[in-house]
Amino acid sequence: MSQDDLKTQLTVRRAKSREAHERLVARAEPAKSARILLIEDDESAAQFILEGLKQHDYVTEHVSNGKVGLFLAAREDYDVLIIDRMLPGLDGLSIVKMLRATGHQAPAIFLTTMSGINDRVQGLDAGADDYLVKPFAFAELLARITALLRRPPMSEVGRILHAGDLEMDLFKRTVRRAGKTIELQPQEFRLLEYLIRNKDRVVTRAMLLENVWDFDFDPETSVVETHISRLRVKIDKGFGSELLRTVRGVGYCLHVDA
Amino acid sequence: MHRLAQTSSFRLAIVFALIFALCFSALLTITYLTTSSTMNEQARDRILEDSRWLIAEITSDGLDSARSDIGERLLHTGSTAYYYLSDGNGRKLAGNLIRMTAFSGWREGPFRESEVHDVELSAGKNHELWGQGTKLEDGSFLFVGQDVFSINMAQRAIIHSFAWSIGIAFLVASIAGFIASRGFLRRIDAINTTSSAIIEGRLKERIPVRGTYDEMDRLSANLNRLFDSNQSLLESLTQVTTNIAHDLRSPLSRLWHGLEGSRAARSTKKSYEAAIDAAIVECRQLLKTFSGLLRIAEIESGSLKTTFRRTKISGTVERVTNIYAAVAEDHNKKLCASITPNLFIHGDGDLLFQMFVNLVENAIRHTPARTEINLSLTRDGQYIVAEIADSGEGIPAEEREKVFERFYRLDRSRSTPGSGLGLSLASAVAGLHGVQIGLEDNHPGLRAVIRFPACPDSATRPDT
Repeated sequence: MSQDDLKTQLTVRRAKSREAHERLVARAEPAKSARILLIEDDESAAQFILEGLKQHDYVTEHVSNGKVGLFLAAREDYDVLIIDRMLPGLDGLSIVKMLRATGHQAPAIFLTTMSGINDRVQGLDAGADDYLVKPFAFAELLARITALLRRPPMSEVGRILHAGDLEMDLFKRTVRRAGKTIELQPQEFRLLEYLIRNKDRVVTRAMLLENVWDFDFDPETSVVETHISRLRVKIDKGFGSELLRTVRGVGYCLHVDA
Repeated sequence: MHRLAQTSSFRLAIVFALIFALCFSALLTITYLTTSSTMNEQARDRILEDSRWLIAEITSDGLDSARSDIGERLLHTGSTAYYYLSDGNGRKLAGNLIRMTAFSGWREGPFRESEVHDVELSAGKNHELWGQGTKLEDGSFLFVGQDVFSINMAQRAIIHSFAWSIGIAFLVASIAGFIASRGFLRRIDAINTTSSAIIEGRLKERIPVRGTYDEMDRLSANLNRLFDSNQSLLESLTQVTTNIAHDLRSPLSRLWHGLEGSRAARSTKKSYEAAIDAAIVECRQLLKTFSGLLRIAEIESGSLKTTFRRTKISGTVERVTNIYAAVAEDHNKKLCASITPNLFIHGDGDLLFQMFVNLVENAIRHTPARTEINLSLTRDGQYIVAEIADSGEGIPAEEREKVFERFYRLDRSRSTPGSGLGLSLASAVAGLHGVQIGLEDNHPGLRAVIRFPACPDSATRPDT
């Protein structure tokens, strides 16, 4: 598939998905009073993030000093922590380590310009839940925050996962929709599992690459698009409603009608 | 000379020479003391024995008998024996000493000139008279003595020879140290000269290696390798800087012109949005290029080698195949794989994954439709051979090395979107693992071959 073919296809999908996207974004609005602490010393980056979060009705607090940030994070009960890795006062890595060591489990996401091969691993090892390299699209950050906000159900270990009339048996490695068995390749199974665990949330292309295929780089070919379109054919074709939707400019969503 | 004295090897030589001389002196002193005391002991015993014998004769046969005996002894023994016999009135009866005051006991050392009648003895030099004097009951007096000149001379000779040997030993040790240091210094100088030359910019200078495989040779060889990598790093730095400058210019100008063009035209909101979207896409591509460059730099720095471990390369290649078979199909190509299971190498799994991804993506992106891409992993003795072969248009032989350079593109692929960094990164990963990506003609098409040294127990151990 050439780049142009891809673009055409995407445009068609975009038109279809715009409406869905708007609904999704509305749905992805946080549960009432989700509180986010942003520890970031770069003023313009902080403004960009705060502005975006405000538009999506998050309650945010912002500090630029690492020590103050640690103090707040330890004292208050935040739903998500967004932490720059390099900060005055105390670096982000130490903040997360200290919080985890003292039993604070609030999900944390690192924002950083440190894109070295082992930096991400280091960040996650310190106890962070996600790692986002600057610069990034706001939609990317938002998708990751949303994914973190619904963490508790996601970490649940159950044998059967459900998404609408879709049913995934993790032990038997089988998938059924509306009682009909769907044959999936291992790659597609992993992809669908991730999507189900994040159902009704937008997942970005980068999130899929990182979590489904363990890519820590951006491939030059349409890896995500290829696998998504194959999965879409298998789980949606011939069924009444469309589950796997493309969210224009952001990513994908396994949308379950309420 | 001053510098020589500063070299550690010369200092060491001197210290060793000193320690050697000291030990030698101690040894010789002990030898000297034992030898000379034995010699003295022997001389004394002889004198006392003779004296006892003569006293016994006097006691049994009288003074006259002793007198004739002494006379006889003086006739037969050499000039080093001395006797003196006087009667009860102090009158000399026999002997070769002029006169001697009676005394009892052992006496060593200088005798008054009046006591001895001998030119050499009285001259004193190295001559010394040792002897036993005995006053007998009837008042007579017997002296038996010996000139210990020969003993003294022997002792002196020993001391002299010892002094000489210590001196010579010290000298030889010092000279040997000096020569060794000078040789050492010359080789250090060669290293210094070369290093200075390289600091001054003559990057091609190398330290001469003698081929003796000693420590200095190995040091020189290692430094030369260091200089080699330094040179290639500097060259690649220059190349990269130039290429980056050139290759970032076009996306930046596209960005600029797009924004400027949309501003100049009387545009609608919609076209403004399109221009902004295009600019964002361009920025993303630029950032991706930067990430690629940073990653290549990080890999080439070699620091990631510290995290190498036993890696199941069969699993890595299988992962690539599983993910990319579908991608190839979407591009109307076929990806076939033949992977020997359970092959292990020492390396970084994530980087190897990216290397294979880049090679496969390269094959997918730069070949015509309906191309078959074959990915294989086999064991060949001590090596594990990975091959990515396609039946596309291949790469002309003269360009095969260049495709690994950053941003290098074949003419026909200039229009294909991409960073131009994929093969550079693959090559950097291979380099980090101490191997090279060989590009060969696949008749038709391109065959990339990588030969990894296998982990010793590859394919013999169950999965880990």
